[in-house]
Amino acid sequence: MLKGLSTQLLQHLLAQNAWAAPLLQPFAGKSVRLNVALVSTSLVILENGSLAIAGETNIPDATITISPSLLLRLMTKDESARQQIRIDGDTHLATELAKVFSHMRWDFEDDLSKLVGDVPANKIGEFSRHAVATVKETTANLAGMLSEYWQEEKPMLAKKRHIEQFNAEVDILRADVERLEKRLNKLTKLNTANPPNPDNR
Amino acid sequence: MTTEHNTHFGFKTVAETEKAKKVADVFHSVASKYDLMNDVMSAGLHRGWKRFAVSVSGVGTGDKVLDIAGGSGDLSRLFAQKVGASGQVILTDINASMLGVGRDRMLDAGLNVPALQCDAEKLPFPDQYFDCVIVAFGLRNMTHKDRALAEMQRVLKVGGRLLVLEFSKVWQPLSKVYDAYSFKLLPLMGKLLAKDAESYQYLAESIRMHPDQETLKQMMIDAGLSKVDYYNLAAGVVALHKGYKT
Repeated sequence: MLKGLSTQLLQHLLAQNAWAAPLLQPFAGKSVRLNVALVSTSLVILENGSLAIAGETNIPDATITISPSLLLRLMTKDESARQQIRIDGDTHLATELAKVFSHMRWDFEDDLSKLVGDVPANKIGEFSRHAVATVKETTANLAGMLSEYWQEEKPMLAKKRHIEQFNAEVDILRADVERLEKRLNKLTKLNTANPPNPDNR
Repeated sequence: MTTEHNTHFGFKTVAETEKAKKVADVFHSVASKYDLMNDVMSAGLHRGWKRFAVSVSGVGTGDKVLDIAGGSGDLSRLFAQKVGASGQVILTDINASMLGVGRDRMLDAGLNVPALQCDAEKLPFPDQYFDCVIVAFGLRNMTHKDRALAEMQRVLKVGGRLLVLEFSKVWQPLSKVYDAYSFKLLPLMGKLLAKDAESYQYLAESIRMHPDQETLKQMMIDAGLSKVDYYNLAAGVVALHKGYKT
């Protein structure tokens, strides 16, 4: 039952994103195992460029692994996180599928319009977008306010420029220590080659 | 034990030449109430299983599909919507009564689906003609399953898919409950709803005699199909096998 529902959901999303089918069609018959956070599932690419949940005895051609922390970073649209997605097996296939997933969008207004009609669906969509934007803005403001408080009023967090300054000073200190170490080594060598004459005292 | 000239008919052993006639009698008898009984027996789940089979078939616009043992035409109807006007779906069944029900239903739905009475062991189609061949709840009634699978493989194009939807081996912890349901409740429902307990007794027995998931997978590989995979549906009560012609 779950396989049926998941497959229908996937195919519904792909039908809404018609650009994806021609990208996946060349890989028809191939399958990919997705290990995303704690969930693991295998998907098979169908001949019409659609996707379905794979069967019980499927052997995947590629594996995509995304750890829970990486998933959080991907959700916040951290571009550098994409480089850390682990891909094994047929990398071309896995990359194309990852590309499709990252650009796929759920047109929920279209689905909603079938239930409540076009105009209410559009209004609900507008309201949701506005609500999401407000929540995002409020969260950003709150985070900014707290970080400012912990940096200025009750210092618990270090400011970026202070950390950078500290890092630069550590670098200078490390370079100085290295130079001093080299100088000491040089002096030790000189001392070993020409030991001081006790008669010169 | 079956000999070279004997085969199973439910739990009974009959001559190979008799099986087709006996199966035909069963389906002539249940044809008019086949869908009602299917709904009652599976609590409507058979519709979901068939939809799932269509969704994993990969059939798209313009494809050619062969529905074997299609009976009442549920799958042909779903496939006809998928292939569109440029595609082709052919509904076949060995049993004239079942095929008649399916053909009338296609006509009532305004679908141009040819209905053809033929034996799956001797398909009247050229080699490499179909993109997808499907047999749902029909393979277990065939006398020579190996010959039928080889024929299905023959008519498939390279890259084409064979889908077999059939009762299979249920998940072990549920087997006692499933046995009680099949051998006690099923014939009783057949008696009350279709007034034909004997036919439904055969249905229950034939399900038990049908090969399990792994055996059928191997039979499909032996018939020349590759990348064979299966889905257990409803804890293995039904399995959907899918294989490719390469």
